[in-house]
Amino acid sequence: MKIALTKDQLKLRDEIRGYMAALMSGPLAEELSGEQAEGGGPEYRKALRQMGEDGWIVRSWPKAFGGRDAGPVEQYIFSDEVIRAGFPYPFLTTDGVGPVLAEVATDEIRETIVADILKGQCIIAIGYSEPSAGTDLASLKTKAERKGDKWLINGQKIWTSFGHVADYVWLAARTDPEAVKKHKGLSMFLVPTSAPGFSFTPISTLGVRTNATYYQDIELDDKWQVGELNQGWKLITGQLNRERLSLVNHGPCELLFEQVADWAARADAPEGGKVIDRPWVRANLARVKSGIEVLRLTCWKQAWLMGHAQLGMDQASAAKVYGSEFFVEVWRLLLEILGQAGTLAKGSEGALLRGALEHRYRTGSVLTFGGGTNEVQRDIVAAAGLWMPRSR
Amino acid sequence: MDFSLREEQRDVQGLASQILGDQVTSERLKALDATGYRFDEPLWQQLAEAGLLGVAIEEACGGSGMGFETLCLLLTEVGKAVAPVPMLPVLVSAALPLQRFAGDAIRQAVLPGLASGRSIVTAALVEPGNDDMLNPFAEARSDGDAWLLNGDKHMVALADRAQYVLLAARSPAGPVVVLVDPRGQGVSLSPQQSTAGEPQYAMVLRDVRVPAEHVVASGERARAMLAFTRQVTLAGMAAQTLGVCEKMLAMTATYTSERHQFGVPIATFQAVSHRAADAYIDVANLRLVTEQAASLLEQGEDAGEAVTIAKIWAGDVACRVSQSAQHLHGGIGVDRDYALFRYCLWAKELELRLGGSASYLAELGDDIARWAKARAGIGADPAVRVA
Repeated sequence: MKIALTKDQLKLRDEIRGYMAALMSGPLAEELSGEQAEGGGPEYRKALRQMGEDGWIVRSWPKAFGGRDAGPVEQYIFSDEVIRAGFPYPFLTTDGVGPVLAEVATDEIRETIVADILKGQCIIAIGYSEPSAGTDLASLKTKAERKGDKWLINGQKIWTSFGHVADYVWLAARTDPEAVKKHKGLSMFLVPTSAPGFSFTPISTLGVRTNATYYQDIELDDKWQVGELNQGWKLITGQLNRERLSLVNHGPCELLFEQVADWAARADAPEGGKVIDRPWVRANLARVKSGIEVLRLTCWKQAWLMGHAQLGMDQASAAKVYGSEFFVEVWRLLLEILGQAGTLAKGSEGALLRGALEHRYRTGSVLTFGGGTNEVQRDIVAAAGLWMPRSR
Repeated sequence: MDFSLREEQRDVQGLASQILGDQVTSERLKALDATGYRFDEPLWQQLAEAGLLGVAIEEACGGSGMGFETLCLLLTEVGKAVAPVPMLPVLVSAALPLQRFAGDAIRQAVLPGLASGRSIVTAALVEPGNDDMLNPFAEARSDGDAWLLNGDKHMVALADRAQYVLLAARSPAGPVVVLVDPRGQGVSLSPQQSTAGEPQYAMVLRDVRVPAEHVVASGERARAMLAFTRQVTLAGMAAQTLGVCEKMLAMTATYTSERHQFGVPIATFQAVSHRAADAYIDVANLRLVTEQAASLLEQGEDAGEAVTIAKIWAGDVACRVSQSAQHLHGGIGVDRDYALFRYCLWAKELELRLGGSASYLAELGDDIARWAKARAGIGADPAVRVA
């Protein structure tokens, strides 16, 4: 075994870190610190195009698309650095939907939309969840019906992040209402957000802005139906392991750990010495550190297993559960060190670390149920990892 | 980056698993319990004949020189089988530091016997009231070429069978590490009853004269040797803990899948399967930190922090997985006719060896503070631990 980044991988990490630092300086950082924190603003679009032009988006893609076939470990390094830098990179577009389109969509879509994705000129939002279809996604009701040679889309989606700025929504819709097994009657569509009948309303959450999106008598040509008819479930679930990994990157909490340790080393304690001289502060930092270590190793191993086509769903689910629940613990342990002032928000007088932790803890609670709720992940671990009989 | 094992490592793992799986049966363990002395010497010999005791001993000293990672794989197998053999104290805590720090005379006198199973050398790491093996209370004063030792060691595995006991004492010139003949003058042994039943001894040293040829290291070199001994011991413990926990988890998954209540296997209750899933995650995490510590040590890289983190996880995971296994088994889990109790006892024994997780968290916290202050350009840390 050799559980370390190679020289080339370290070089890549430093290169991306430097690149992202340069990218994030100036007006982009300002835009992302305001109303458009989730991305999609003009500076964001500009930066994404720049990343496309500089070859970062295509890097992980197969050579056939002009990519460099970067392996999963390299791609993990890339995503970790991008997230660490605080750039809301559209991974679900570039690494989730994009490769699916490249594989199963028509030539026309490949030549236009896939090409645009790789140029950083196209953002795709995910339209899976509905008000009454969350964990039980296959019970979704949004429907697509044949009307002459067109499709007629009607329904509502929720938690459509990027929905207010996206060019398309990657939509799961029911095309066979008679299917005996409900996940057998679903198909995938690309819905242009410019299509008449598309609308959205913002949902302001504890942490971020997301959207409800509405589809009213949207007429679509056949070409917008992607992949096999009624076989959409495979396209939804095919990328799940990869998506789960991208939810629990270790970089952001490593960065905050370093920032809090640095703050505690400099901050004077009223009893004398520094805040970091308090035994309980050191214990909290140690807990965070020993947990981050596991998170980093978990992510590395998952990426490595992916590269060897050995990543099992039990492992992907275990990582998602551990990472998402550890994040909640990290924000708590680090906030305890900052103390009461840790709750001062960004922009406020006296905010510590520019309110980063005040923001983090608010966004952090989403992950234990988002991206596949942890109860279902534990079911998967027990069944696929321990061969225990399913509970239903 | 490479998480895979070499082919020779997989062979060693398979061979150990086969021998231990075949030999360490419930009946054999019970028979051994009845003797009151939990060391399976025939099994030790069998492992020696299979070439397994020498995996981390250099070829020049009678081993096969496959390295520390391979030895950790063996320790995991020993943990899985709760095999009553002293792999950790003999092959890790004694053999590895001797191999690295002793002169040729000692190496040649000791290591081939360990690889062949002909002799046993054990290590005395802790003392009454002192789990910090870097700072022994025992004292050494020089007596011409030799040293005179006074002090107490305890929980010394197989001290009664050992040709030598490797131990450390403090002196005005820093620590000394020596080999002591447990039958020598001034040494007295008395048996202790540890929770998992490994034969352990309290060892009192009264003016024990250690000749120059039995001094392994002194001063800075002894400090380095103790630090190394501590690192390999902690990493080895994590590897053995991993095996203990893997097996407890597997037993729990099987048992809850077969045990019916309310007309269904209890594994179909989410309260049960989710607790097992949490144990699975714990074991997976322990495997990662153990692999990292073992591979860094094998490559001679700085492993200090990785080892501390492995020890923290090993202690926490041993405790949590053990209790989950017991709980999910219900009454059968505590019945001494069923093997789980042995794993739970070993989990606790390993959890507390060289101190529990809290003390290592404190140590890691001190290291972080030192690092953060240096990074911030803040002055010396007043709470730096003195080794």
